[in-house]
Amino acid sequence: MDKRDTFRHNVLTSGHRACSGCGEAMAARMVTDLIGPDAIYINATGCLQVFTTHNQQSAWQAPWIHSVFANAAAVASGVEAALRAKGKDTPVVVQAGDGGTFDIGLQCLSGMIERGHDVLFVCYDNEAYMNTGVQRSSSTPHAVRTTTSPPGRLSQGKHHLKKDVISIIAAHHMPYAATATIAYFPDLKAKVEKAMRIQGPRFLQILSPCPLGWAHDSALSVTVSRLAVETGLFPLVELEHGELIGVMRLAEQKPVEEYLRPQGRFKHLFGTKTGAVELRHLQALADARIRRYGLLDADTQWDTARAMQSARHGRGGYASSMPASEEVKNDA
Amino acid sequence: MKKLLEGSQAVAEAVSLCRPQVVAAYPITPQTHIIERLAQQVANGELEAEFINAESEFGAASIVLGAVAAGARAFTATASQGLLLMTEVLYNIAGLRLPVVMVCANRAVGAPINIFSDHQDSMALRDSGWIQLYVESNQEAADSMIQAYRIAEACELPVMVCMDGFFLTHTFEPVDLPIQAAVDDFLPPFHFARALDPSRPMTLGGASEADNYQEYRSAQQAAMEDAQPVIEAFDAEFDDQFGRAHGGLLQAYRLDEAQTVLLGMGSLMGAVRDVVDKLRDQGQAVGALRLRCFRPFPAQALAQYLSGAQRIIVLEKAISIGAGGIVAAELRAALHQAGIMTPVESVIGGLGGRDLTPEVIEAVFQETTQDEAGATFRFAPDHVTPDEPVREDCS
Amino acid sequence: MMPKLDIEPGSSNAYHTGDWRTRQPVYRNKWPPCSQTCPASEDIQAWLALATERQWQAAWRKLTERNPFPATMGRICYHACESACNRKHLDSAVNIHAMERYLGDMAILRGWDHKSSRGTPQAQRVAIVGAGPAGLSCAFQLARRGYPVTIFDAQAAPGGTLNSAIPDYRLPKSVLAKEIDAILALGIELRLNSRVGKEISEDDLRDEFDAVFLAIGTQQPRPYQYDNRPNGDKSSHSVMSGLEFLHRLNRGEPMPLPKHIAVVGGGNTAIDVARCIRRLGAEVTVICAQDSHGNHHRELGTEMPASLQEVIEAETEGVQLIYRAGVRRLVRSGEHLSGIEIAHVDQVYDRHGNFNPVLFDGTEEFVPAGLAIFAIGQEADWQGLERLSQATESDGVWLGGDAVGKSKLAATAVGSGYQAAMSIMARLKGEPFVFDAHKKAQITFRQMPLHYYPKQPRHEGEISEQRLDGFKEVVKGLADDDAAREAKRCLSCGVCFRCDNCWHFCPDAAVIKTTAGYEIDYDYCKGCGICAQECPCGHIDMDLDPASARTYSAQVLDP
Repeated sequence: MDKRDTFRHNVLTSGHRACSGCGEAMAARMVTDLIGPDAIYINATGCLQVFTTHNQQSAWQAPWIHSVFANAAAVASGVEAALRAKGKDTPVVVQAGDGGTFDIGLQCLSGMIERGHDVLFVCYDNEAYMNTGVQRSSSTPHAVRTTTSPPGRLSQGKHHLKKDVISIIAAHHMPYAATATIAYFPDLKAKVEKAMRIQGPRFLQILSPCPLGWAHDSALSVTVSRLAVETGLFPLVELEHGELIGVMRLAEQKPVEEYLRPQGRFKHLFGTKTGAVELRHLQALADARIRRYGLLDADTQWDTARAMQSARHGRGGYASSMPASEEVKNDA
Repeated sequence: MKKLLEGSQAVAEAVSLCRPQVVAAYPITPQTHIIERLAQQVANGELEAEFINAESEFGAASIVLGAVAAGARAFTATASQGLLLMTEVLYNIAGLRLPVVMVCANRAVGAPINIFSDHQDSMALRDSGWIQLYVESNQEAADSMIQAYRIAEACELPVMVCMDGFFLTHTFEPVDLPIQAAVDDFLPPFHFARALDPSRPMTLGGASEADNYQEYRSAQQAAMEDAQPVIEAFDAEFDDQFGRAHGGLLQAYRLDEAQTVLLGMGSLMGAVRDVVDKLRDQGQAVGALRLRCFRPFPAQALAQYLSGAQRIIVLEKAISIGAGGIVAAELRAALHQAGIMTPVESVIGGLGGRDLTPEVIEAVFQETTQDEAGATFRFAPDHVTPDEPVREDCS
Repeated sequence: MMPKLDIEPGSSNAYHTGDWRTRQPVYRNKWPPCSQTCPASEDIQAWLALATERQWQAAWRKLTERNPFPATMGRICYHACESACNRKHLDSAVNIHAMERYLGDMAILRGWDHKSSRGTPQAQRVAIVGAGPAGLSCAFQLARRGYPVTIFDAQAAPGGTLNSAIPDYRLPKSVLAKEIDAILALGIELRLNSRVGKEISEDDLRDEFDAVFLAIGTQQPRPYQYDNRPNGDKSSHSVMSGLEFLHRLNRGEPMPLPKHIAVVGGGNTAIDVARCIRRLGAEVTVICAQDSHGNHHRELGTEMPASLQEVIEAETEGVQLIYRAGVRRLVRSGEHLSGIEIAHVDQVYDRHGNFNPVLFDGTEEFVPAGLAIFAIGQEADWQGLERLSQATESDGVWLGGDAVGKSKLAATAVGSGYQAAMSIMARLKGEPFVFDAHKKAQITFRQMPLHYYPKQPRHEGEISEQRLDGFKEVVKGLADDDAAREAKRCLSCGVCFRCDNCWHFCPDAAVIKTTAGYEIDYDYCKGCGICAQECPCGHIDMDLDPASARTYSAQVLDP
């Protein structure tokens, strides 16, 4: 077992084969270290599963299982039921990509939530099927270029809208469902810790930029995830039993172009008339999301400026056991 | 003590005696009575288990996969379309070497949709890495559940107990259910060495490549081969303890001096035995051989039993479309490898619940050498029983 | 029977993804713009970082490594550091000078003394001429390192210009005296009223000492000529130099004080003089050849040299300022001055960069004044040092402070003294001298993602209400609570402050956190560059990976 770092467990340790700058690897490393090694992790098929267990070398320093693409939530249901039957309270955590959540895994996820299994389901949302080479998923945003939604004479990328999965999940009378992203570690930490304190099914959708599929510089993974939030395209919200209980207010709304520009998957929209229409559409989508969740005027202390703030001696670390402190209140 | 039980009830009671900790299922005819009974037992507090109503058979299989991976004894049951929907997961369970036990209430596969019994469903899973036991009676079904857990957990291989839908699941027979203490004695508590456990973190189901994937398959194959004596030994041990045996891999009937052997699987063998008795009474040297364990395929045992036969007829309720009888094909291969050149007649019948009556089976026997040259199989003749009333549907 | 899988996964740690890297992150301290700009080269970031931890004495010691006058400089330095501070691109510059003063005042209050650095006492003796900021700074550095130092000064009190030309409302005499006492307490010999060429000869200096540092400052006003009267004409009661005015004021000598006084000059001395005049109760007009702040041509260097803060305070106190104006002539009524005729200045500097204003005819105006004070600069007085001033470092003679160079800030003199001390020591030890080898790459706000820093208002010292009531200090020090908060406003440009960003954001767990900071595990770092991109303070550089550079060139050479 790798004990290189005395300040965290590295549940997801080094030597995994994720691409350079992988947002999903970063998100998973954060989430699993926030939860710690005393949990059972179930992984859907996808990048995370492949790059962490490649060629009989596992990057997991906690019990981990992968079965097939669609069934992670059901496997977790079984694991949780087994633990319950054995009188154990080991946390059970599912990790899946957007394919394993929005699309092929949605049925098992819905069943898991409906049955009330005490499982945290974490979706690392990189908005396409990256593992198979960037094909569109129902999470792919409007107008994005993928290999199966290519721009062409008759196309400006994906025709359809990104599936509003958090609303679908929340509609299950879900005890806790929240969105987060890698750029805001204190927010992510607060949400993971909160989720771990709640009983029953919980859901986190974590936007995880993919330098390969989004075609941005590998150094910009955190930056683009921040811009996704600051433009309003990816609202950070928390829902309890279907009710919106907190949002990350935007200290300042940035134009969507600032988010789109560094990403090659939107490149085709720039410099053409039809592309300009889609740019306006994307801006309108951002505006609509901001209005829907009140991202500019929500009555909350927590905003995009505060959540970024770095401090001397850390922004909160990883605890081996979950602290009960409420150091970051989302809905204060 | 014998009780008059529906096959589904008998199986549910036997499963219950095995103390499963997680039961997950999705309803499908003709499996429903099994899981309804288990649900009621859990509801009554008679069975201490988590009963999980899956959102599909795919989910149900995945749930028992997770449960066993977490170290719990688990049970599921399905049939037909449900089994096919489980297929991806069933392969996965076998690949992960998880000792899951399930019942397949054998039923035809659509289209056209048909709820009645044949073996097409479980036959489709023959290459998945599951042990398959085809039972003949409700008593055997119940006893085989207890044996199945013992076999699965000893071999780290999943076991599918295949029982004919309606013919067994919905038929009442007197069944002798063992007492709990005796079952506990036969079946020790489940301890899974590779269970998911933070104190011994382990990665299950990681990715592999060309340089090691084949080793997984060869290990599975070796485990399957090793399972044959285990299945026989546990059936014998069961006999010692409970006074009943079910043949282990194969069950022979009046094979002594038999020139013709009728070979089949599952509940049809009752009728086959009646035909054997009748033909023996007429002076024909006929015997029957029931293939109880289809996977692992007991090639050597079959060759031993059939070395003296001059005519071998395989009656089966499934077809590999485009090829013919599945059991027959495998049997031919096994005998050929053993140097036995006796032709194997492949007869397919009973599909979609069609009755294989003694008359039909006898007719099959009488169709001596009627095969067209080069034909590898034939369908069984239709049963014409004008003096019998038409049976009602049981859907 | 014990069924077992033949193959169980090992750890991915066996696979070194570091091979993928083409660029590698490197933790590298940068030199923040405040320190880059500070004439005394203070490591401002470092002492502010200690102050955030309320390690006040450690912060003071760090500060005084470069500048033994924090209480003094915190008051009078025009803090170029703050103009350069990257924080102004976020909200407003860190109040560095107030922090410096806070630490200096605390040292005086608590009686902290300077410590000699460990090491054997040195035998080689150093003479320093001039007990101003340059001389004392040099003496301080040498004495701390065990050198016997003797300072000669022509005046009756040490401090040089700090003592003679800074008004009390900016720098109380007691503050300066205490800081000088602390320096001298290191064992420095101070000989006052000792002018070279009079009380001690140049030859004696050369004979008795192994090194001589000349830091004589600029005690002589630059000559001004109007009406063909040289400034040496002491007969005039209506014209004097700014320096003379301040000397006489500081010595408490009586001076003529007409109702209106004109001050000529655009530097800090002019403003000092004007503000003193307001405190004495007279009206004052400053005639400045340059442009005002904010209405300037900074590129052309025509902004008035005086500190903006000083000008604002002067205006608040009722000082009138006339910009772009030069003196045409003094208008006299007999011996008495009645005013100054001024005219518009077109060009301030000539093409050689020398101050040489061109006045436009026909733009003349009259400024009434009973006294004209010329504060147009001052010069060194080399009398008695004619031979030594021609000597070089190889002769064992060093020059420094205001007497050389162009900048006339006290902090420049302090820095000059430090540099001289280092150079002298290197020479005495026979080692090569490289000044400030610790200076590193600079860092600008563009290299820093400023959104990682919360906006926080700047803390200021309170400003006295009764400011014109005598020469009491106008600006008070920072409140205790504000000091730590203000220190925390430092962005720590280019220097790690352990925010954990690199550690949190590394997708490959290749950043290892230790009790000392962070380390990069190059076995696994894939060189994505996120750590460098997201480092708030720009501490991480992405260098070309040497291994990959080798591989690349090998591929090129070996097709």
